[in-house]
Amino acid sequence: MTAIDLPRPAPARALPFRLLAPAAAGLRDFAIALALPALILLLWSLGSAYQMVPQQILPPPAYVFENFRDMLASGELLQHAGISAVRVAGGFALGASLGLLLGIAMGLSEAIDDYVRPLFTAIAQVPTLGWIPLLMLFLGIGEALKIVIIAKAALVPMVLNTSAGIRGVPASYMEVAEVFGFSRWQKLRRLILPAAVPPIFTGIRYSLTKAWTALVAVELLASAEGLGYLLVWGRQMFWLDTMIVAMVIIGVVGFAMDKILALGEARLQSWRIDA
Amino acid sequence: MAVRFRFPSWRVLAALAALACAGAAPGQAAAADPLVVRIGFASVGVDNRQFAGGSSVAIAHAEGYLEKAFKDDPDVRFEWYFFKGAGPAVNEAIANGQLDFAIQGDLPSVIGRANGLKTKILMAAGAHAPTYLAVPEGSTLSSVKELKGRKVSIFRGTNNHLAVVKVLAANDLTERDLQVLNMDAATTNSALASKDVDGAFGNWPLISLAQAGRAKIVYSTKGDNPAFERHSTVLVTEAFETAHPQVVQKIITEFVRAARWASDEKNFDAAVAIWARSGTPESVFRYDFAGTEPRYRNSPVIDPFLVEQYRVQARQAKAFALVRRDVDVSGWFDTRYTDAAVKTLGLEGYWTRFGPDGKPLGS
Amino acid sequence: MSLPLTDRPASGVRPSRRLLRGLVLPVLLLAAWELSSHLRLVDPRFLPPLEAIARTAWHEVWTGDLFLHLGASLARNLTGFAIGSVIGVAFGLLLGLSPVANRIAGPSFHAAKQIAVLAWIPIISVWFGFAETAKVVFVAVAAFVPVALNTMEGVSSAPAQLVEVAHLLRFSRWQQVRRIYLPAALPSILTGIHLGLIYAWLATVAAEYFMTVGPGIGGLIIAGRERFQMDLVMLGVVILGGVGFLLNHIATLIETRLLRWRA
Repeated sequence: MTAIDLPRPAPARALPFRLLAPAAAGLRDFAIALALPALILLLWSLGSAYQMVPQQILPPPAYVFENFRDMLASGELLQHAGISAVRVAGGFALGASLGLLLGIAMGLSEAIDDYVRPLFTAIAQVPTLGWIPLLMLFLGIGEALKIVIIAKAALVPMVLNTSAGIRGVPASYMEVAEVFGFSRWQKLRRLILPAAVPPIFTGIRYSLTKAWTALVAVELLASAEGLGYLLVWGRQMFWLDTMIVAMVIIGVVGFAMDKILALGEARLQSWRIDA
Repeated sequence: MAVRFRFPSWRVLAALAALACAGAAPGQAAAADPLVVRIGFASVGVDNRQFAGGSSVAIAHAEGYLEKAFKDDPDVRFEWYFFKGAGPAVNEAIANGQLDFAIQGDLPSVIGRANGLKTKILMAAGAHAPTYLAVPEGSTLSSVKELKGRKVSIFRGTNNHLAVVKVLAANDLTERDLQVLNMDAATTNSALASKDVDGAFGNWPLISLAQAGRAKIVYSTKGDNPAFERHSTVLVTEAFETAHPQVVQKIITEFVRAARWASDEKNFDAAVAIWARSGTPESVFRYDFAGTEPRYRNSPVIDPFLVEQYRVQARQAKAFALVRRDVDVSGWFDTRYTDAAVKTLGLEGYWTRFGPDGKPLGS
Repeated sequence: MSLPLTDRPASGVRPSRRLLRGLVLPVLLLAAWELSSHLRLVDPRFLPPLEAIARTAWHEVWTGDLFLHLGASLARNLTGFAIGSVIGVAFGLLLGLSPVANRIAGPSFHAAKQIAVLAWIPIISVWFGFAETAKVVFVAVAAFVPVALNTMEGVSSAPAQLVEVAHLLRFSRWQQVRRIYLPAALPSILTGIHLGLIYAWLATVAAEYFMTVGPGIGGLIIAGRERFQMDLVMLGVVILGGVGFLLNHIATLIETRLLRWRA
């Protein structure tokens, strides 16, 4: 996602300094990174303290913080977040594993790909949001709807990345495998799947991101609990502080999930290069 | 090679910017001399019909009272808005300076005030309204108590919401004891019809659905504790009221004229027919008004009873954690315009004024 | 991200046969649909027969409503997209070209982009109200993120040698931007704009669902659901996918055309 950091020339300083330098630079970057949010927070506080922005447009930061603290203390926030997490976990597990299987099948067999891909493309083309009202009429507004919607969102990138990853296994590998007289199963296990792991992992990462977005969509439209519902609820009650808290939590969770998977991805890549 | 390539972006950017401006421009174009009065209803007709029902102001709108009264004043124009998102959406619009007048229920008004919306309440428009509980056709639920643990639709933040919270409390329940789904009226209707919810609180649309045989009404606040009644009023923004007091007076006078017409028992059939333009069948309004006098429901006067009701609603909203801060109702009500209108139209004494205790004043 | 929907690796099987194979499942599905609807295996209210949907489409086209809805959706889609991508390119260039700006605003941007785009809807509604503005702003936000992100990446991927050459030739800052950075970033910017177009379309539908009612394909679907008119919902969903497909296709065409010109 981000650009590669070019190695910086090491400053010609005393040894302890040189050892400390990266840490110090990291700290400095971190401080600079915090400058903008801090400035925004300052302007926000001043703006609401001097009534420059009406509180019905932007509540004072203190309200938001108090609200966050209260909802945390009462366990309400964790309860909503937990419900959302369970939904995402369920939908993602279902969608990603189906996607993995379908992707492998489509990657391995051209015939299967030929049969399935046009229909799959048509289904993938309609955004998740489009499926919600339709599925609402079929499935009602219970948990099933949420799981299916999230699963659909997770399935698409998984299929695309898995099938592309398997197709992308270099032909030379296969030739080597032929030479060694690998069986079909051995080829799959020893060659194709390991070679396809990185793109599959990328697929997992996108799947999870999509699943998280789909969760917000489905909770906004039909739910009695969860982080998306917290947004709706806050809006209905004109609790802008609750809305902002919910937004931030949605962002933080999304950020954390993506970061963890990105780390895993990086680890995987380096492991592959090492091996 | 990349260096030789002349980037074409400036023309593209200019074109995109022009496109962007073209899209954004129409909104700004209207700000010329004429005064546009923007009036918002916290409701919308069936299938998004641009009509409201059930109140005197809805009649003033449907019958063009204001447009007629301001015929000789071409500089004043009216824009009417109808909000599917009901009271909460009206609050957002007021917060954005997109409305001058609003017809809104008690709880959303209190929520708006708690958030610092600068408004004044000028007139009552749909007081003493009931709230109903409907269950899907074939459901065995028959009372509020049985809702425990069930999926129930409530349109949060509307004036039904506070009534519901009070009804639940009277049955030893809180919102947390149910699975509350927040749904607007139209969504509630389809959810009831498809049995996606076990019950729904609301008003006319539920009656409509029940009369079509797709739901049944198992409870009404009518005849129960009068404290469960909902009230709606006409609000104006402080900014508009300060800038154009004469226009406000003229508008309120027309609304009071409509209230007088709608209060007349002999006009009830005609009133119901006008309300039915919102797509809600006449029979629904008849059901809703059954057993109450039009003069009682359509009274425009802000009497001590109404003020006291708002004070109580505000306190209860805080107690039930629907608003986070105390809401002071003093200085919120401005009765001058309605009083003047009543005098101008020679209607003194036509509507009974009630004291804080709900007993008629001066009796 | 999920761009290569239509691309597929070359295959030994003849194209006509592949096409036939591809049609098998959809045809089977539609036949099963039609049968179960006519034989009342499923409540036709849930699964209206195909001809009912066609009739609805026909009716909506001729009453003029369909084009009204489609036009309204496309107008707010393109307006928001244009605004979002212009700002996105500008923001991306700024952060890509200025290390200072990048260090100050980069982390905040990367953090803020993690907020699922739909979560912006309530606050944008509160800030921009019920008129068209709020919807356009939301669409613009949705388009902005991928455009800014890809522009940033594109600019920072300008080959170091070229940048050095520019220094040797004493290019002004402006010349550097115009002759080196922008051309190098073009493919990436176009990818960003392409993604922006797709996101903008999703956002248009989302805005029509969650913000105030008005004409638009999203509004059509919601109305269909409320009235329990499955045919209307399905028609809306088909249009949704069709428009998305066309936008994607057009963007791909323009992208390849522009990049070919560049080469």
